[in-house]
Amino acid sequence: MKRFLVLILLAMIVAYAISAETIKIGFFAPLTGFAAADGTSALHGAQLAIKLINSKGGVNGKELELVYYDDALKADQAVSIAYKLVQKDKVVVAISGSYSGTTRAAAGIFQQLKVPMISAYAVHPQITATGDYIFRVGTLATVQGRAGAHLAVEKIGAKKIAVLVMDNDFGVSLAKAFVEEAKKLGAEIVYEEKYPLGEKDFRALLLAIKKLDPDAIYATAYYSEAAHIVSQAKELGIYVPIIGQEGYDSPKFIELAKNHAANGTVITTDLDRDSEDETVQWFIKTYKETYGIDADMVAASAFDAVVIAAKAIELGGETPEGVKKGLSMIKEIEGTVTGFKGFTEKREAMREITCQVVIGNRFHYFWKITDPEITTP
Amino acid sequence: MFLQNLTNSLVLGSVYVLIAVGLTLVYGILRILHIAHAGIYAFGALMGLTLYKLTGNILVSMILSAALSGFLGILVYRYFYRKVLSESRIVPLVISIGLFVAMQDLYRLIWGPYKEAFSVNFNIPDIVTENLIITGDQIFIVLVTIISLVALYFIMNKTKWGKALKACADDLQMTGALGINIERTVMLGFFMGSFLAGLAGVLVGIYDNSVYPTMGEVPSYKAFVVVVLGGFGSLKGAVVAGFILAGAETFLVAWKGFLLPRDAIAFIAMILLLMFKPSGIFGRETG
Repeated sequence: MKRFLVLILLAMIVAYAISAETIKIGFFAPLTGFAAADGTSALHGAQLAIKLINSKGGVNGKELELVYYDDALKADQAVSIAYKLVQKDKVVVAISGSYSGTTRAAAGIFQQLKVPMISAYAVHPQITATGDYIFRVGTLATVQGRAGAHLAVEKIGAKKIAVLVMDNDFGVSLAKAFVEEAKKLGAEIVYEEKYPLGEKDFRALLLAIKKLDPDAIYATAYYSEAAHIVSQAKELGIYVPIIGQEGYDSPKFIELAKNHAANGTVITTDLDRDSEDETVQWFIKTYKETYGIDADMVAASAFDAVVIAAKAIELGGETPEGVKKGLSMIKEIEGTVTGFKGFTEKREAMREITCQVVIGNRFHYFWKITDPEITTP
Repeated sequence: MFLQNLTNSLVLGSVYVLIAVGLTLVYGILRILHIAHAGIYAFGALMGLTLYKLTGNILVSMILSAALSGFLGILVYRYFYRKVLSESRIVPLVISIGLFVAMQDLYRLIWGPYKEAFSVNFNIPDIVTENLIITGDQIFIVLVTIISLVALYFIMNKTKWGKALKACADDLQMTGALGINIERTVMLGFFMGSFLAGLAGVLVGIYDNSVYPTMGEVPSYKAFVVVVLGGFGSLKGAVVAGFILAGAETFLVAWKGFLLPRDAIAFIAMILLLMFKPSGIFGRETG
């Protein structure tokens, strides 16, 4: 019995010693609760990136290891996960696969503990403002809102626009940027109303909108609310284009819309399904094969966050300080799926914004916004 | 626009009523705050979708799922509430809350965390006029609700089971002493209430085109608001209150937008009522 125990102990020590040869990247996302679908997507995107990088030899000859936890979309849980990742798991960089509220909470801790954190898709402006260790790979809300205004006014030609605002960090910051820019471009905002996250019945608001006969509706939402909005709009006889953002970017949006009501919806996002880039096509195909469901913006963002983190480790070194330096050093980088073009001084991502339209059972390329005036955070 | 909002609130109200009636039925007999009722509602929806995918027949799936929900209700009674009925009322309440939480996670493990579409073509034509659009599924929901309420009325007032249920609600011990099998009656009450909850689940799943494990979250407390408004234990009250609440929500949102989330409206109404007429609209003064 004693010998057996000693053997076990030895095996554990050996296993620990072997595992110490990996580079640890921390990750947190909502894997339970109502945001579980997005959190799981983000996790899958990140895991796919880890798999790809490790299959090519890892970074500096070492394998990457994703240490992940479920934050259940609770800010306090995100905070304790931040402590755990830094102090117990000793990650060299962390990635948030979560929404803005939780990401903001965790960012404060990572900044304090001087470990870089990359926000995959949480878009609230305050996140990067937390400090110089916090980076964002997702498209800043102000950028996306601005882009949406150009999409609505220039491309779609809308002069009267109704705006529905999801009442949280994400929805409000997007709508604010949209309204500001749309007005600058000469459009009239004929209606603007907030609605609570999770709302399922928009009929009363849509009726009011219908009476005003706008040329387009700009609605900030996640894919659940978006599915309800487009379904009920069509039911009530509203056929003008509904313009969304990356929150709609999920195959679930198309699936949950009643009677194919998602058709014709246009969104600003960062994954171009029709891109001819090799990595993008590989990502879309492999994700579907591995997880049985179409990739979405969340998965793409998490994928890129890992790719970027890996590059930073390569450039700057396998320590938190090194990664922080490495992140600021990245300019052009191969192998991302969202067209990432480096960070600005304020650690925001630079990229082109792709606009996608729902036709049939998936998103298609619709337009691209490359003007740096618009896309630079 | 008024007509449209009225129609929408009728449909919304139908769902509230179906859920609340079951809840008030259980409370009426056993004085338990049956939070897990919302878990049975979610089960109905999840099961309904699964059955629909298997059979392709919505009526069969709906009724079968509701029946299974009814049996689930009986199980909940027998294994979770029965033994603690003699304890203070907080015990079954705490059990119910814990059960509800566990149920939601169990559903996540069985059915996955994602929202699934529940799209059914009823072949009921939409009614489309210049000022009013009534969709086929709205008609279906209201029809099912009417049929259920008529059936419920019939059972409660014209059959001996209904009389037994009402007797149990009046005085459980006395009814038992008079020779009525209260055990069987209580189980019937649970079955009926849970049947309606499961039915509501299927209807909402179709109406919203989304079915998911945590869909009972809002109904878990909103159903109580309806029950409180209508008076604990009063079926008539639950029906009236359900429609009034739906109307209040819809028209307030139509008038003022979401100044407050619609659930907050429900709670404010409940708080006001509890302050001024705690027995509800049709409630009995005895708790």
